[in-house]
Amino acid sequence: MEKVLFAVLTLVYLEISTSVVSAPICSYGQAGCHVPSLADLFERVIQQSSRMHSVSSDLHSEFEQYFFPSQNLIGKRKCHTYDILTPEDKENAQRLGREQLTEVIVRLLQAWEHVQDQNQDFNLYSSNKALEISDILHELKDGVTIITEKMKLLGVLSNTVGYNSPESLVPSSTFYTQGDLDSMDHHDLLYCFRRDSNKAKNYLRILKCTTLPEPDC
Amino acid sequence: MRRDLRGALLLLLTAAVQSSSMSAPGKPVLLSCRSPEKETFTCWWEPGSDGGLPTTHHLYYERERLEGTYECPDYLSAGRNSCFFDKNHTSIWVDYYLTVMASNALGNATSDPFKMDVMEIVKPDAPENVTLQVEEREASPCLNVRWMPPSNTDTKSGWVTIKYELRVNKDNSNNWKEYTSGTQTHFSLYSVSPGGVYTVQVRCLLDHGSWSEWSNTTFVKISNYLQNERPLSMLISILSAILFIMAGLILIAKRKSVKQWVLPPVPGPKIRGITSQLLQSGGSDDVGNALIIKQSFPPIYFVWEDQMEDYLIVTENEDWLSSISQKRKKSLIPACFHFDSEIHSKKLCGFSETCGKRNVKHVDYSRVKEVKGDNVLFLEKEKVQSSGYMDFQRQEGIPEDYSRVKEVESDNLVVLQKQNAADMSCKDEGNHYTDCALHKPRKPVCTELSDSGYVDTIPAPPLM
Repeated sequence: MEKVLFAVLTLVYLEISTSVVSAPICSYGQAGCHVPSLADLFERVIQQSSRMHSVSSDLHSEFEQYFFPSQNLIGKRKCHTYDILTPEDKENAQRLGREQLTEVIVRLLQAWEHVQDQNQDFNLYSSNKALEISDILHELKDGVTIITEKMKLLGVLSNTVGYNSPESLVPSSTFYTQGDLDSMDHHDLLYCFRRDSNKAKNYLRILKCTTLPEPDC
Repeated sequence: MRRDLRGALLLLLTAAVQSSSMSAPGKPVLLSCRSPEKETFTCWWEPGSDGGLPTTHHLYYERERLEGTYECPDYLSAGRNSCFFDKNHTSIWVDYYLTVMASNALGNATSDPFKMDVMEIVKPDAPENVTLQVEEREASPCLNVRWMPPSNTDTKSGWVTIKYELRVNKDNSNNWKEYTSGTQTHFSLYSVSPGGVYTVQVRCLLDHGSWSEWSNTTFVKISNYLQNERPLSMLISILSAILFIMAGLILIAKRKSVKQWVLPPVPGPKIRGITSQLLQSGGSDDVGNALIIKQSFPPIYFVWEDQMEDYLIVTENEDWLSSISQKRKKSLIPACFHFDSEIHSKKLCGFSETCGKRNVKHVDYSRVKEVKGDNVLFLEKEKVQSSGYMDFQRQEGIPEDYSRVKEVESDNLVVLQKQNAADMSCKDEGNHYTDCALHKPRKPVCTELSDSGYVDTIPAPPLM
């Protein structure tokens, strides 16, 4: 009995001692850390948003291909993010300013995360893509949070931008019918997601180009 | 009243007379819309039949997040049957519902509604100013392609990201090779060969939209510069060829001396009485006789029995060695010599050139007198009792091949040396006579003198 205990303890010790030690997260520039620059962070976030957009496009086109062969749908749809006021062309987006633009991005991402949590099967017909979307959304959210913190640190962004501002919680749970989404709703969901991911990508790019004085933008 | 009636009748009549095919216009069809830079867009429609009457078309649209129906702001900029929406009227990420109405005197016709979002209809113009530049390098030429993005796209603000693709074909074949360039506006092609005409086209893509059309073809001919433009290298090659030929001619002219120098002739055996003629013509008897009789070469044999009175006993004698080889660095040699036989005279002539010059007599070389390092000295002594006993030890193992005469010195001194000695020259050795006392019993014999006149070494049988 004691031998067994000893063996177990030894194994546990070995397990702990040989486990990989992760590098400390240094978003505040502690000594000995390699801190990615703001440009790097933006680059990564934009890549993620690009990925999200392509996945959403694929999902939507797949759905249309299998369920709606006719391309032109008449029904007027409404996305749950309808209430989030977003700039609809380049000039408006540029005029908005960094803080508001960041706010818009954050709200969009939050809204979709919320929907994702509510509906377990984001896509009933392609579950691995659904998992991918959930991953990407989380990563994007984390990335944007990090960027906003960094920008605040650099003084580029005022401290008013936050993640959990009260208006941001859109009551999306009632928007799409819970439980079994019927195909119309599902189609709308995918269409809205594709559109919003495109918006997020574009806004992030404008944010990057207005924040960083880079020649290649 | 009458007038009105008459007018109406006239109208009806003219209408009836003019044509029976007059009718309301056919239904127009909205074909497509396109936004070249995600800031403006244009839509085209196909009119239906005009019903024989002048027909006008109007495009009406409704927009998400915008109340009311609006008419197309610009029918002219994009050409016939089109509608151009400028920046003020373009919104991205909102749905447009478009309809076209054809109307003529007899009626209207409305197309089916066409729904679109500007995000989905992005297709840029082709890249501009595609230039080709041939870069001539030593090994192979390379083609540098450069181009400009289409002028209406705004890549600087990050609103759109452009990606490029180019394709190349050689000599107007239908075989295009495609390459992706990413976001660079230049590209280098390395797989080009001189003498070919290369055609290059570039196209681009915005975000996740559609590819543009291929740009105008640009072509370039790569010259065969290897044949025309390098006189210097040709001159050098010609000169070196001439030198080579001359060297070859000289070599051929002097081939005999060259052959002498490269492959010096191996001197044949110089045995008196034996000539190549004799060897070729005579039988083995003749040769044997020539060897024996003419050379006075008595056979040398080795006899184990103690028939012979005189024998050479070699023992250790360190004093002797030290006196002899003071200056020599070669140390004691462990092998030993033990001659039981009487060595008959033989005439040995080594391979040195001076050999023939010496006056070699028939002498009786029968005693090992001295071993100096790797050299074995034979001394002739008839009465061998007093001398000829030598002790030495050779450190090299038996057998040693003392089969070559290094030198014949005077009447009674022959210097033998090891077979592998590279030193062929005849050195002058001093004559040393030493007395060695017999200290130890006989040691195994190490050499045998055979018939051929060479000293062969054999492993000695144990005598103890």
